[in-house]
Amino acid sequence: MSYFILQILPYLTMVIFTFGLLYRLGRWAGSRIVHNITLSPFPQSNTQALGILGAELIFFRSLFNFDRPLWIGAWLMHIALFSVIGGHVVGIYFLGRQFVYLGMSASLSENMSAVLGTSMGLLMLAGLLYLLIRRFTIAKVKEVTGPSDYLHLVLLLTIVVIGNIMRLWEHDLGISYAPVKDYVTHLVMLQPVPMNHEVLTKPLFVLHLLFVQILLMIFPFSKLMHVFGMFAERWIINRVYKEPAPGLPNVDVAAARAAGAGLPSGDGAA
Amino acid sequence: MPFVNIGGKEVELDEDGFMVDPEAWTEDCAKYFSEGEGIPEMTEDHWKVIFYLRDYYKQFQIAPMIRKLCKETGCSLKYIYELFPTGPAKGSCKLAGLPKPTGCV
Amino acid sequence: MPEVNGLKMPAKASEKEMKNIHIDPVPDDQKVEVALQHLDEMRKKFRSFVMAMESCVKCGACAENCHTYLGTKDPNNIPTNRAELIRKIYKRYFTLEGRWFGKLVGAEDLTLDVLEQWYSYFYQCNECRRCAMSCPFGIDTCEVTFVGRQILHWLGMVPKLHANVGAAMEKAGNHTGLPKPSLIDTLEFLSEEIQEEFGVEVNFPVDKPDSDILYIPSSADFLLNPYTLMGAGMFFTYIGANWTIPSTVAEAGNFGLLFDQRFTQRHNVTRLLDASQKLGIKKIVWGECGHGWRAAKMYIPTLADRPVKWPIVHLHDETSYYVNTNQLKLDPGKNNHPTTLHDPCNYGRACGMTKQLRDVLSACVTDFREMTPNQEKNFCCGGGSAILFDDPEMYDLRIKFSAKKAEQVRATGVGANGDGYLCAPCSICKAQLYPMVEEHKLGVEVKGLIDLLGKALVWK
Repeated sequence: MSYFILQILPYLTMVIFTFGLLYRLGRWAGSRIVHNITLSPFPQSNTQALGILGAELIFFRSLFNFDRPLWIGAWLMHIALFSVIGGHVVGIYFLGRQFVYLGMSASLSENMSAVLGTSMGLLMLAGLLYLLIRRFTIAKVKEVTGPSDYLHLVLLLTIVVIGNIMRLWEHDLGISYAPVKDYVTHLVMLQPVPMNHEVLTKPLFVLHLLFVQILLMIFPFSKLMHVFGMFAERWIINRVYKEPAPGLPNVDVAAARAAGAGLPSGDGAA
Repeated sequence: MPFVNIGGKEVELDEDGFMVDPEAWTEDCAKYFSEGEGIPEMTEDHWKVIFYLRDYYKQFQIAPMIRKLCKETGCSLKYIYELFPTGPAKGSCKLAGLPKPTGCV
Repeated sequence: MPEVNGLKMPAKASEKEMKNIHIDPVPDDQKVEVALQHLDEMRKKFRSFVMAMESCVKCGACAENCHTYLGTKDPNNIPTNRAELIRKIYKRYFTLEGRWFGKLVGAEDLTLDVLEQWYSYFYQCNECRRCAMSCPFGIDTCEVTFVGRQILHWLGMVPKLHANVGAAMEKAGNHTGLPKPSLIDTLEFLSEEIQEEFGVEVNFPVDKPDSDILYIPSSADFLLNPYTLMGAGMFFTYIGANWTIPSTVAEAGNFGLLFDQRFTQRHNVTRLLDASQKLGIKKIVWGECGHGWRAAKMYIPTLADRPVKWPIVHLHDETSYYVNTNQLKLDPGKNNHPTTLHDPCNYGRACGMTKQLRDVLSACVTDFREMTPNQEKNFCCGGGSAILFDDPEMYDLRIKFSAKKAEQVRATGVGANGDGYLCAPCSICKAQLYPMVEEHKLGVEVKGLIDLLGKALVWK
């Protein structure tokens, strides 16, 4: 089973994820922006339009403005999520020594990597729980929530909880960077790892990877597509629009007033 | 579409209870509609408004501007609302056998 | 009031009324199949619609930002749930996850009951786009309402009000059904009124050839809003403009935007372009109408079937220009009332017109107080997309939809002494607010913006 999850499934996952994504994006691209539905106030240059996108992307500006309680949970969760994903990449690639490049010693960097990873993992857990509790407790949110909305959160929570356990009890239940890097390298090179490889002996690691792969497989067929949807939607509603120049043709107000336009005859202005 | 018997004649109404054919209007129609529009008794002023509306409609195939209705009949808008509690558009037009005004009104 | 499965809904147009707007209603036993065909066409065409179908995360941020939900607390009036009425069908027929996992992802078969649900809730949406503004991704639920109403139109399910307006437009050239003689009669009457009240001579030229400016008034102004027409006439006369009103398209509105963005909407545009060419005009100036201004400004470029060589601007793009360049002498003392401004949604969120309104209003009144929120963040009056239905149950909904607006107006305190003004420069807003300020006892009178400018003009 571990062998299947770690050695075979990843390729299947990548195929489903990639082609699913292309299929969905292709569908979006096949439809058109038929009419101009730009939201005002209109950006006056592409730089400004990019500014709107950036503010939404990085700070979740609309949520900040219109639903502050949600913003707190959503923003922290997403920031933690991106940190965790980034942390996985650099941590595994540099074996936790990425901060050496910022002038730290190797051991300090490893500690730093652990501390950051743990705190971001816990922050993400907190964020996800906040979002889940919100769906149960706030009436209006409950009313928009369907079974799949809960399941998405439960799936993410499962992944994060397992990840956090592996972090917090690293020596008993977790795994160090080196064997993971070795495993990923084999995976990328399309070579199987030996049957006695450490990754195959860590049940939580296998489980963690299983759920991550499930997530990636449902990604193109779920609301997780909002990551890309946001760019597509902003491209529609935040575009440059320039106003035509004001001023009416053949109108000279001063002359009209001097001639007493509208005033009864004989009552004209001087 | 429903038909109602008014003064021995079958009169066709639309879903909003307005007359389908303004030509078929008689004074009995106005009396008939007044009951549904919360008007206890038809007074001279009611008839003044109704006849003005009918005259205007005959000439222009549309109801007049409300301001003009007020001015020509000498009734303030407030008084028109007293006469026709559902207002000039719904109430008085219905009694006068005019079609229901359409658009942003 | 017809009621299907306990749903609130406006009276539907009859078969005859649908034929007047060129639609043969689809028989019930074919409705589902035909609806799915149209839905398939729409999803392949409108990316804005596909995005609303496929990238909502159901965060619920839109709920508190929709006045129809705030006023009714009906869960289907939460924008994402309103969209879900179509999304559940979309998922079922056009997505793998919907076909495979059905209920789990909220997919559902299309039935006649669902179509009635569409009819009820898409005509409870004011198409104000406040949800698009507050959505973290910018999902525009108005686009979903548009698609829903378009499909319903093709099936033959349109409110009487909207269908009759479409028919009146084709017959008379305006939504109210005013024939040319009645237009002229009303305008002559208003010339006399202006003479009497302001002592100035204002003529309203109709179909005058070789005019420079084509003024497109809202036809509702001819029945309900005398000062809006008078104000525009006085403004054009004051600045000495060579202007005219076209009798063939005396209509700033375009209900096509609201229920049929094909024939009905394009028909108005064609009339406009024909009139512009015939009268040899140089610039088109739009009157006080919110949805119509959006339809003109944002849709004519993609709907016109020929090159459009006339710039199209709004009346208040121009009034604000002349106010800001100090070319008008205005006496705000003539509008000595506490005044607040309701930003029509289509101006604020769809057409970028907020500053202009303030520039003009603050020059025309003595005491201007902003309501909160305002400009692009403003709430709809509750009449948006012309859901001005007056049967008791729908009227009751309109009162609920305007609850947020009433709260906003009250908070400004302009009506405290019963002599406040609520400036709402849009015909639908006016038609909605005239009764609503009474229902909510706000102590204000509803005014157009050009109404106030006309009164404030100093002629000598």
